[in-house]
Amino acid sequence: MSPAIISVSDYLGLVNHALRTIPREGMVIEGEVVEFKVSQGKWVNFDLKDEKAEAKISCFMTVFALNVPLQSGMRVHVTGTSKVFERFGKFTLNVTAIELVGEGALQKAYLALKEKLRVEGMFDVARKRQIPRFPERIGLITSGEAAAYGDFLRILRNRWSGVTVMHTPVTVQGKDAVQEILGAFAQLNALPIENRPEVIVLTRGGGSLEDLHAFNSEAVVRAVFQSAIPVVVGVGHERDESLCDFVADVRASTPSNAAERVVPDRREMVTNVAMSAERIGDRLQYEIDNRSHAIDRALSIFDRSLARLLQSMSDVTRRFGYAFERFRLSLVATVEHIDRRVQMIDSRMKVALDERSRAVMELERVLKSIDPREVLKRGYAVVRSAGKILRSARDVAPGSHLTIQLGEGEIRAQVETNAVQESLL
Amino acid sequence: MTKKIMSKKISFADAFQELESITEWFETQNVDLDEGVKKFERGLELAKTLKEKLADVENTVITLKKKFSDLDNPQDL
Repeated sequence: MSPAIISVSDYLGLVNHALRTIPREGMVIEGEVVEFKVSQGKWVNFDLKDEKAEAKISCFMTVFALNVPLQSGMRVHVTGTSKVFERFGKFTLNVTAIELVGEGALQKAYLALKEKLRVEGMFDVARKRQIPRFPERIGLITSGEAAAYGDFLRILRNRWSGVTVMHTPVTVQGKDAVQEILGAFAQLNALPIENRPEVIVLTRGGGSLEDLHAFNSEAVVRAVFQSAIPVVVGVGHERDESLCDFVADVRASTPSNAAERVVPDRREMVTNVAMSAERIGDRLQYEIDNRSHAIDRALSIFDRSLARLLQSMSDVTRRFGYAFERFRLSLVATVEHIDRRVQMIDSRMKVALDERSRAVMELERVLKSIDPREVLKRGYAVVRSAGKILRSARDVAPGSHLTIQLGEGEIRAQVETNAVQESLL
Repeated sequence: MTKKIMSKKISFADAFQELESITEWFETQNVDLDEGVKKFERGLELAKTLKEKLADVENTVITLKKKFSDLDNPQDL
């Protein structure tokens, strides 16, 4: 029997048919990635190398199917269909799913993505947004069954009230986690502004790096970054970290801590409010006291001035009293002095008057003694002609009228003759 | 500074912020007594409202339905 002759492509058709009989389900190929490269931003090629034997498979996939940050040297589990490409005669594994295995590889991938996002500025402190101090609506993205959900609500209730929590239930691990979390972000952000939560809390309990896969997924990190609503992320226990922590506006260490970060504490606020009221009361009281003291001071200054004024007035009055008394006494003294002087003058006047009186009486006596009328009384006469006393007979002519004054009365006469006689008597 | 009449509608955040600004006013201004008395009364009123609000113990939890395919229409809140 002569052998059948078939073409190369027919033969490869048989080979590929045989290859398709290798089951895909229930089996993954474990190996190390080498010669990893991306061409035209679309095609991913790498070799999957056996870790113990000298063996390798060429692997091919698109970047769209690649959901982990792959690098050479990583250990992976790969699923796919194998095929010999007719054109190149090359055996290739068409990768449909790839996942990182071993802490080392996951860690490496994690760090690589972290660095990439950091360089993009997604973790920059400057872009962190403030969350409102007293949020009234909080979006909560977590699993409704998880302890994280209960912890968050319990701490929230312990601390604060009057909050509406808008819970979007999602699975936080497993293959649907990323899509559901992305959906929740989109849903909350798409709410009309009046219903939209003021802050979103993305939280879950702790776990291994694999458990936290969704929280380290680039798509979720970008959703947190792009959320119009500020995001608080609280993952796992204190020591757990995820890339979402870094991109979050506020990083909480646990679900409980997320509740603590997102609302204030009621007791603190009660104290705070009471203290505020007390402080403004104290301050007002202080101001009132200040003014009241100022008024008191003014009044006491006024009082003192008044007292001084009264004191000085009473001093003046007293001094005036003294002065007046002195004045009165000196007046009295003066009056007495004057009295004495008057008496003295009186007595001296009297003496002087007496003296004068005696002198006058003496003079009177003397005058009386020389009074011509006294002489006339003794028989002499005074002859006047035309009012003039005649001293010589020659002073008159006969016929002249004469007035002769006697001791008692007068005589009118007319001259008969006149002769001069040396001595009439 | 004019203030709206205190209503039950005032949010905790607004009331607290106003109380803080009154406290700050008292600590940074030369206090005018007439103005101070007005602000003090307002402050007490705010503190009372805040205390009442703080006495509430309830939070409300609404669970949103998953609507990944129909994000434009979120009325079922």
